[in-house]
Amino acid sequence: MAAESGRSQLAPSTVYRFVMGVDSEPTVMAQSQLDSLADPMGVLLRQGKFPLTVHDLLAEVDAAGMLPLQRSYLAGEAGQIPLTETGSLQRDLRFAVTRARAANADLLISTSAVGDPAAMFLQVMGWDETAGQFNYYMRLDHTWVWAGDSYSALAPESRGQGCFDSHVNGSLVMKEFKQPWLHWQSMNATILLAPDDPLRDNPLYQSLSGAEDFELTVRAGVSRWTAARLKHAVTPDGRVADLDRLLRQLCTTTTVNLASSVTASSAVVRSPATPLTLPLGLWLNVDSLLDDLGLPARFVPPSVPGQLYLDSLVRYDFALVEGEFRRPGDAFFAFVVPEAAFEDIEVVNQLVRRKMISAHFAASVLMVDFPNPVFSPARGKLLAYVPTAATLDPAGGVSQQVADVIVEAAGSLSADSPEAQFAANWRLADADWRDVFVDRIQNYMNAVTARIGTDQGFDDYVRLAESRRREFKSSRLNEFTLTLPVTNIPPDAPLLQLNEDGTIRQKPANQP
Amino acid sequence: MVISRFDPPGGLTDLDETGLEQWSAFISAGVDAAIAGRTDHTNDAPRAQFYNLTKTDTAEDATSQDISWIAFPRQVKVSSVSDRQRWTRADSSRDLQDEYCEWSVTRRPDGKITRVTFTCEGPEYWQLLAQTQPDTLLELYQQHVDPAVQHGDLFDASGSYIPRNNRNSGTTNGAMHLIQAANTLSAEIELVAAASNVRLIDGRELTGEQELIDCGRYGAPQRNSDPHIGGVVNSIARLKADLALSNPVGLYIDDLSTAGWDTPNGSDAKSYWTYVRGDDGHPVRAVYEVPAELEFVVGDIVIDGNPIEFGAQIADFISIKAIAVACRFGQSTVAPMTACVGDIEGLAAAFSATQLRSRLI
Repeated sequence: MAAESGRSQLAPSTVYRFVMGVDSEPTVMAQSQLDSLADPMGVLLRQGKFPLTVHDLLAEVDAAGMLPLQRSYLAGEAGQIPLTETGSLQRDLRFAVTRARAANADLLISTSAVGDPAAMFLQVMGWDETAGQFNYYMRLDHTWVWAGDSYSALAPESRGQGCFDSHVNGSLVMKEFKQPWLHWQSMNATILLAPDDPLRDNPLYQSLSGAEDFELTVRAGVSRWTAARLKHAVTPDGRVADLDRLLRQLCTTTTVNLASSVTASSAVVRSPATPLTLPLGLWLNVDSLLDDLGLPARFVPPSVPGQLYLDSLVRYDFALVEGEFRRPGDAFFAFVVPEAAFEDIEVVNQLVRRKMISAHFAASVLMVDFPNPVFSPARGKLLAYVPTAATLDPAGGVSQQVADVIVEAAGSLSADSPEAQFAANWRLADADWRDVFVDRIQNYMNAVTARIGTDQGFDDYVRLAESRRREFKSSRLNEFTLTLPVTNIPPDAPLLQLNEDGTIRQKPANQP
Repeated sequence: MVISRFDPPGGLTDLDETGLEQWSAFISAGVDAAIAGRTDHTNDAPRAQFYNLTKTDTAEDATSQDISWIAFPRQVKVSSVSDRQRWTRADSSRDLQDEYCEWSVTRRPDGKITRVTFTCEGPEYWQLLAQTQPDTLLELYQQHVDPAVQHGDLFDASGSYIPRNNRNSGTTNGAMHLIQAANTLSAEIELVAAASNVRLIDGRELTGEQELIDCGRYGAPQRNSDPHIGGVVNSIARLKADLALSNPVGLYIDDLSTAGWDTPNGSDAKSYWTYVRGDDGHPVRAVYEVPAELEFVVGDIVIDGNPIEFGAQIADFISIKAIAVACRFGQSTVAPMTACVGDIEGLAAAFSATQLRSRLI
């Protein structure tokens, strides 16, 4: 590896730093910085412990007497493909391992579940309670490299670089975050292994927990980092630094989670008359609007006759493809789509809870182009009006200040501009805005429900979902070829968006 | 090794010697019936890889396998559009709490939750207690539900136990044992046995949890529990092993995760979780309650920033488990079923009626 990359071999038992975008190559970490690493991994390294496999690392954690509670989890994009069909396919199974003192995990390990543990990737996140951040580490050659901390993910020079291409906002990552946790071993799916697979003898496999438990850990970890980040962002006199970095998680899609139906695609094949309920995240940001902001909208989750779904798989030639491997059909669970990421949702939730923005302000932004909960250029445009810093006022944090700028801009723009839509939302009286937004959501969902059972309507939604998957595939978060199915829709086909009347439209070509 | 008898769920010590023998006989008969399979079905019988621990040897290579799932009812979750909606619904009726875990919520006059009680005890055990030791049953209600419970609250005029009595039928007035129609030990035994049939359909071995339950027609496909129990059991059977439900046969509380929970005084939220029935590794009843000497109650604890306003919020973090034991790996010669389960016309209704009749009577 070292020779291939053109760099020299790292010295063993030496802590290096290598923050992509900041450092041009690994350099030995200065003692003063090493002394500041207070997370569990940093503590081990400071004690001169350099475990080079996951089992050695866990043994060192045991020996240190810290973090006694261990959980392990398993994921793999090919994990549900029957072994009789995989042929030479690399199954690429991965462990996530957590260690905790109590409820919240302080050490998180990601490593390959196959191959030589001394040669396969080994990455670690450690929570530093004092600094209020995660530190990121990777084993390189025969030693450990500090790859940055949570704030490195936010800094322009290192944002999106190295490990922060997936840890986009400096937190934990679990792409398939909700039930049925596509690609994870869970209470909904068991990853298939041959009877003689050596993984069966691995203690981490023998003690596996389901993804339903890892979701809780990730949720808590994201919340913990978000809380620390927001606390750190406000000075004692109420000045908020990097406000634009915070509100980009309200206005834009910094990353996504992958949602799917809870129904296995094979189950639809067996029972085509059974309705297939599509993931709610396809339609709107339910978590922010209904859960966190508490809009009491009521509707029945839209579903489609299974046969329509099956017809669409044939029409668009759905398949899982990697190299020479091709398996016709959808992913293991039906109808996978990108949805609003929990790490964005949680920032908005905590901004509101800490009164840094008002619920009305957050809802006024989120209700702009709300049928497109991800990849919305309209909402993204509003970020341009957010200053880099502002001072909180007791009434609504920074809401009024930012809203005033947008409303002023709206005065010279058309009524359908994002600015004007926001202004209309913002002008609603405190006593009215919730009811108005609930009506709009319910009318929209009624329109979707009316269309989804028709051939044309469902076909539109199949193509919309594929369009959103293509947008996801263009991101660095798309690490594995088998994450999503492919179709015969050309990669350069126009991207699509949903309208509030349940119809779809082409996304303007010049809008990301 | 062949065990001498089946123990009560969680190693409970309520039964006298007669009751212990009757309980073992009940479980053994249920296991035997499940091995025999459903005679009203095609492609379902026998379940030759499922065995009776009191009659068939458990070999040296035996390993046990916990099978766990989340207590919050999946059917409520997938038909709701917001957390508040699903929590409200799940807290409204025990009939909706169908993941082998039911709960009852106690509130202060101002509405704040002070205590939530969770049970995963099957109703069959309580039927036996009622028949053999009614006084013990009453004492248990008085100990765990309310000291004021009277005999007449639990038994009808003829002396028959009322499982859905006023102190065990709602979500606010006590939960002594499971009452939801599908939450029975008999159902657990039947589905594990039925899931032990390997299915080779059109030359393809079925491996997915949903396709297996659809094909094998065991349990309820829309629950978290049944497809998962069946899926794991079938994965063991595919290793050509014999399998059983571990002794003591039962449904157990696996754990409570408190990741993301915060208490007003910074204490460990897990410290207020207490198992009150069942032995180590087999708890069947748990209470979440803050000691009275502390100046806050359950409703003051927050989960992911939200105060606990529903018992269902806690159920999101509870896992329930069944425990299987398997042995003779690689040795089973049972041929896979090459078709899915079907009905034998005219027999289904008769079988249902038989199933509904308590085997304890």
